[in-house]
Amino acid sequence: MNLQNLSIKRKLLLITMLTSSVALVLLSASFLIYDLVSFRHFLSNDLATQADIIGYNSATAMAFKDASTATVTLSALKAKEDIVAAVLYSPDGKIFAQYVRAGVTHPALPTDLPQANTSRFKGSYLEVFHGISLDREPLGMLFLQSDMSQWSSRAKSYAIFLFMIMLVTAFLALLIASKLQALISRPILRLEDTMRVVSTKQNYEVRALKFYDDEIGRLIDGFNTMLSEIQHRDAALQGANDELKMRSEELEGEILHRKQAQEELLTAKRAAEDASRAKSAFLANMSHELRTPLNAIIGYSEMIEEEIQDCGQIQNIQDVQKIEYAGKHLLSLINDVLDLSKIEAGKMGLHLENFEIAGMIQEMVATLQPAIAKNSNTLRLNLADDLGMMRSDITKVRQILSNLLSNACKFTDHGTISLDAQRLENRDQQWIAFRVRDTGIGISEEQQENLFKEFAQADVSIARKYGGTGLGLAISSRFAQLMGGQISVESEPGKGSIFTVQLPVQVSAERADPASPKPQEAEPRHPEPPPKPQAETILVIDDDPAVRDLMSRFLLKLGYHVVSAVNGDEGLKLAKVLRPVVITLDVVMPGLDGWEVLKQLKSDPDLSNIPVIMVTIVDNEVAAMNLGASNYLVKPVDRDRLAEMVEQYRGANAASNLQNIPVGASHASQKSVSTPRLDPRARRN
Amino acid sequence: MVSKSQRLMRKIPFIVACLLCFSLMTAAPSHAQNTDSSDSSEYLIKAGFTYNFAKLMEWPSGAFAQPDSPIVIGVLGTDPFNGTLDQVLKGKQANGRAFEVKHLKWGADLKGCNILFVSDSETAHLDELFHNIKGLPILTIGDTPGFAQRGGIINFVVEDNRVRFEINADAAKQANINISSRLLSLAIPVHGTPDGRKP
Repeated sequence: MNLQNLSIKRKLLLITMLTSSVALVLLSASFLIYDLVSFRHFLSNDLATQADIIGYNSATAMAFKDASTATVTLSALKAKEDIVAAVLYSPDGKIFAQYVRAGVTHPALPTDLPQANTSRFKGSYLEVFHGISLDREPLGMLFLQSDMSQWSSRAKSYAIFLFMIMLVTAFLALLIASKLQALISRPILRLEDTMRVVSTKQNYEVRALKFYDDEIGRLIDGFNTMLSEIQHRDAALQGANDELKMRSEELEGEILHRKQAQEELLTAKRAAEDASRAKSAFLANMSHELRTPLNAIIGYSEMIEEEIQDCGQIQNIQDVQKIEYAGKHLLSLINDVLDLSKIEAGKMGLHLENFEIAGMIQEMVATLQPAIAKNSNTLRLNLADDLGMMRSDITKVRQILSNLLSNACKFTDHGTISLDAQRLENRDQQWIAFRVRDTGIGISEEQQENLFKEFAQADVSIARKYGGTGLGLAISSRFAQLMGGQISVESEPGKGSIFTVQLPVQVSAERADPASPKPQEAEPRHPEPPPKPQAETILVIDDDPAVRDLMSRFLLKLGYHVVSAVNGDEGLKLAKVLRPVVITLDVVMPGLDGWEVLKQLKSDPDLSNIPVIMVTIVDNEVAAMNLGASNYLVKPVDRDRLAEMVEQYRGANAASNLQNIPVGASHASQKSVSTPRLDPRARRN
Repeated sequence: MVSKSQRLMRKIPFIVACLLCFSLMTAAPSHAQNTDSSDSSEYLIKAGFTYNFAKLMEWPSGAFAQPDSPIVIGVLGTDPFNGTLDQVLKGKQANGRAFEVKHLKWGADLKGCNILFVSDSETAHLDELFHNIKGLPILTIGDTPGFAQRGGIINFVVEDNRVRFEINADAAKQANINISSRLLSLAIPVHGTPDGRKP
């Protein structure tokens, strides 16, 4: 068992016992040694005294050479048990008389004698030499030898006595120590008990009992202070823990709540996206579904109108014209809604081309004449001489300007409308500023705020009085922004309004679709060339019989030979056979669609140089241009633009064979029209 | 363990010593006190004894004139010492006193003596002598058989070739001389006075 791991009780006992035992043993040993040494001294003195007495007594015997008397004298030493030998030496060193204790072995008698009195310890024997004299006359020497039996027996008894004393003392010390060690060990043991209770039961409320005001007492005080500190902190920690738990539960609840909200949001978002997709699909579908009947309505009303004019039945012409106007108005409304939805979806692309600004304005103004005339207004054009060319989306520029001019006409009665155009240089860039000024009813400041917002006409009453969807300005503004420009307005109610459109001369390519269409011919538009009498062949590919019919009739009037195909396959076959001067191509068709037909046409070296005009409800001009289409027309077909496009290719190719029999079910009226008619423009607002 | 032979070997010196002691005890005195060989050695011993007697005697205070007065030894009659007494006592002292030896004839004044050696030759005058010195502090030493019995204080005798002496304590008392008990214990005690032979 290791000594260091003994209990404190035993340690204390051990320490006490060891200390007292060592002290006792040392003390006893020193007592013993002192006693024995002094006893030896005493013995030596004693023996010397005896030698003195015996010497005195035997001196006369020596003096009178009476050996027997001397022997008798020496024999008296029998009484002294420790003396084993006694010898009287004459001065010449000879033995005069001697006494030897019977039955005792003793060391040899000395042969050489010392001069003076001597006492010495030799082994365990004490020897004394004592000179004998009579009246200062030296007579010889007495030698006494003692075995110190007294001494050894005394040492023995002394040792036994000391041992007994030690035993008794040790026992008493043990008794006292075992009683007194409790003074130290008891508080420590109690402290240990308390500590065990604290550590095993985690009970910080117990306190160690203090016994005395000594170091252990202070230790216990310190322990208690520590304990109360721990208890205090434990409580605080517990409180913090509880609070944390509560908070974390709250947080969990919050997280759960948020998660639910998020899921709801996700669901709502999906629903919204679904709804948006449904709306887009619906719009696309509706545009197709709405335009197809409108195509027929407008087309046939135009045809009827022409035929009536030809027949001279003037009284009916106004009715037909009303149908046509209503159809075209409806078409413009649908177009506006579709444009806006495209803008909002970010799908409105730009088709950039170079064009002459003045020419573009002249053309546009020409189509607006009926609207200008309607309210007896006059139009003034103030075009700067240096206008020149601009690179932009001509369709959208034209749409913005006609929009602004139509509005000016609409809200002005018997007034003057002017269109100014000039170049500006601002912010290191070339700009074209178009200013449309009228002398109409004007716009209040309040109304100006909402002027460019969708579905926000200046006043509800205005809608009733002047008609319109309220989308025109919003779309114009968006188009201008799309091209990097802007529209602003200045107005004073009752005096008129000024709309200023500022557009960059060069619209940067990055504003257009990344896959920019190949730039169109920079060739300035010529004034309409005179129609040529030769009939050239145009191939019309469309699955809609109404479209085929209308296209054929119109193109025949322009003096073309028209062959139509009902689907893509047939169209491709006819194109190879006929080598037409122009092909018009629908997109949405059963079997091969328009895109596929266009690709095949452009991949055939024989046919690739034939211009293709896309005539479709699908509004994706950019894609068409990328695939190699020459022009793009959205149904219902604007006949004037169709005529314009077709005319530019007349005579480009070798004259086709007029004798070729048309394959498609097409009418073949051989009328030719000298000039394109000025129809009321579809795009108005 | 030591064997028996070894133990015996260790005891040899002791045995030798014992034998030596024994031989000395028995042989030496006979040698030293052999009176047969010559008178001179006997009287040498007697002279030594006389010297020793002087040491063990206590004379009355009036016996000496001065504290350092010598002890006067008178040899009465024929001197048996043949000069050895003078030799022995020469330069010696006893109890602080020197010795003075006087050779006297019968009829000489004996008062000045402290010790009186009465020679064998004066045996005829013994009673008269004792009568004359009665009451005087004189230690009388004789060399004649019956000397002590007749009133002398100390008388030499030879026993077994050893010189011994007789002491008549009564006579010493009469002479007012105190004899040490240590001397008495060695002497052959004798009683008798000059007056009535026996007390």
